[in-house]
Amino acid sequence: MSVESTKPHVLVIDDEVQIRRLLRLTLAEAGYSVREAETGRDGLDEAHRQAPDAVILDLGLPDLTGVDVLNSLRETNAVPVLVLSVFGQESSKVAALDAGADDYLTKPFGSAELLARLRALLRRIKPAVATNTFHFGAVEVDFTRRRVTREGKAVRLTSMEYSLLQLFITHRDKVLTHRQILCELWGPKAEGHTHYLRTYMMRLRRKIEGEVESSSFFQTESGIGYRFVSEP
Amino acid sequence: MLPIQERMVDSADGEKRATSFGGAWRRQWVRTFPVREYLEVFVVIGAVTLAGWFMPFTYRAFGHIYLMAVIVLSLRVGRIPVLVAALVSAVAWNYVFMPPRLSFSVLHFEDSLMLGTYLAVALIGGQLTARIRAQEREERQRERRATALYLLARAVAGARDLDVALATALQQADALFDAKTALLLRRETGVVWHAAGTFTVDATNHAIGDWAMEHREPAGRFTGHFPTIDVLHIPLVRDGRSLGVFAVRFPADLVEPTAMQRELIDGFAAQIALLVEREELRQAGEREKLFAESDRLHRTLLDSVSHELKTPLAVLRAAGEKLGAEDKTLRTALVGEVRMATRRLDHLVGNLLNQNRLESGVLRPQLDWCDVRDLITAARRATADALAGRSVRLEVPEDIPLFFADVPLMENALANLLLNAGHHTAPGSPVLICAGRETRHGEEQVYVRVADRGAGLPPGLRDQPFQKFRRGAGARPGGLGLGLSIVHGFMLAQGGDVTAGDHAGGGAQFTLHLPHREHGLIPTDER
Repeated sequence: MSVESTKPHVLVIDDEVQIRRLLRLTLAEAGYSVREAETGRDGLDEAHRQAPDAVILDLGLPDLTGVDVLNSLRETNAVPVLVLSVFGQESSKVAALDAGADDYLTKPFGSAELLARLRALLRRIKPAVATNTFHFGAVEVDFTRRRVTREGKAVRLTSMEYSLLQLFITHRDKVLTHRQILCELWGPKAEGHTHYLRTYMMRLRRKIEGEVESSSFFQTESGIGYRFVSEP
Repeated sequence: MLPIQERMVDSADGEKRATSFGGAWRRQWVRTFPVREYLEVFVVIGAVTLAGWFMPFTYRAFGHIYLMAVIVLSLRVGRIPVLVAALVSAVAWNYVFMPPRLSFSVLHFEDSLMLGTYLAVALIGGQLTARIRAQEREERQRERRATALYLLARAVAGARDLDVALATALQQADALFDAKTALLLRRETGVVWHAAGTFTVDATNHAIGDWAMEHREPAGRFTGHFPTIDVLHIPLVRDGRSLGVFAVRFPADLVEPTAMQRELIDGFAAQIALLVEREELRQAGEREKLFAESDRLHRTLLDSVSHELKTPLAVLRAAGEKLGAEDKTLRTALVGEVRMATRRLDHLVGNLLNQNRLESGVLRPQLDWCDVRDLITAARRATADALAGRSVRLEVPEDIPLFFADVPLMENALANLLLNAGHHTAPGSPVLICAGRETRHGEEQVYVRVADRGAGLPPGLRDQPFQKFRRGAGARPGGLGLGLSIVHGFMLAQGGDVTAGDHAGGGAQFTLHLPHREHGLIPTDER
């Protein structure tokens, strides 16, 4: 796809002036145009006014909680949101992801990591090429025939394993919380049953990736959920 | 604090002890008509008269015998009875013995003198006796007061803590004053009535108690302030500071206590004040000791933290100044240093925060099912830089059960063990991570272990490697000695444990243990 003449807009909502300055430098150098907001309310106003392509939202804002900002934002807007948190904010991080944030980074983070996450988020909103198949690594998924092959050989998946894989592919490059996956696959009653998920993830990884030490496509986000990365 | 039922038992017990003191106290407070003394007077005068009737003495001799009787009586009975004795003697002498017998006679001068002597002797003797007896009574009271205070001191000294001592003191007071008592004390939670009190304090008396405490003056019954109240409130004052209030509810029929009796009550209040103050001082002493200890720890922490912080900060500053340099290789090297310094700072801050979470007791592990392979992956990712260039071997059985643990805590513990291994072994030496299931101390458990090929545990650290600020003697500089202490804290918080030992074939090994839990059934969906 051709590069648009306008640079992608990123809205940074953070009360720390040094973090805003650093993000501005990093993002501008990487070819983004950056708007800044110091408080949650300013950020929401700014988001309504100029419809950014992505939002970077700090969870420690003085006026509103991350969930508040996300709820207001999501009323009108499906813009991808990357939340920034610090050590010890695990629960607010999960709450923000459940409330519709797409990804998170824990301070301190590297600029390379930030740019990679942002790229992945922006890639997701590009209109998906209407195909019936999806490739990652040596794996090919045929959606019409519900068939999965690895290196040309058929991989036998149970229907639940296939649904799990399909969920990951649909939400690729995005963190899915345990709650989101459990609700989607087993219904709201299964919300706390993390052992379902752990067991099925173990089986899916074994079938899709073989015996590898650390999974590269299905990444575990500690205490939060999983992220499927199609291009690790 | 004692519940109310127990209070009632205490009070009953206190009444049972009200033996010798209670009765005597009561008698002095309720002044009764001295029947016994008047009886004595009439018996003695009657006996003298009767005996005299059969004696062949002149009536003058009887005058002297009566005088003797009055003198003897004046030593034994009160002022008024002895005066009565003098008058009765005079009348009897005149009527019975003075001729003509059994009729009143006109007095001669000498006889009048004798009668006057009766009255004078009676008055003087009565006065003297009264004084002696008052002194005697005072002496007895002083002794009783000393005994009471001694008994109080002895009972209180034997008490194992303040609450028991106060309960004992109130019981003694109940028995001694034949009253009900209560104690208002200043506690951390505010001003409260001690549970050992033997009567229930109503709102009015609560307010009066507060008043007495605030004004440091006795209030209520028998005082100048609110005398219509049924309870006497005596503030417990030490060094001008009000520690509480001693409240005494006397029986309703009591008249005002004497100064001596008030003194005894005040003495009791003073003893209780001493008791409370002693406890306060003891607590203050303990707090001080605690402060001193935590102060020492704080200084240790601050010393090492400032050292640990300054090193990477110095690197950052120096590197920052040089980053503008043209030399590309220098710049690349500086960037590496900056990254290393920030990682070190990050790790340090993380450990400090974790230590703080452990110590402040806010750590509430959220146990959930997790895959130990995920834990190992995350820990390895977090320590990839520190373990760069080492071969890390994994031994995890295929059928390993899920762990029931707090994922971030577990990852942190494992990462700390990996960093520890990296820190204490030569660069490039291998690290083994294994996990499994075992029966330990008769309990089904799961474990994950980090084993290295370093020098092993130093002898000095073998007993307590998980203590705060303990660092191996041969450890390279860097690190606070917090890592293993945090691992220990995190494992205990999750209901698990960590052990240190020797790796077979050389080196140290650390094992994280967790209880094994069976999870519920997994829905099957084979197609």
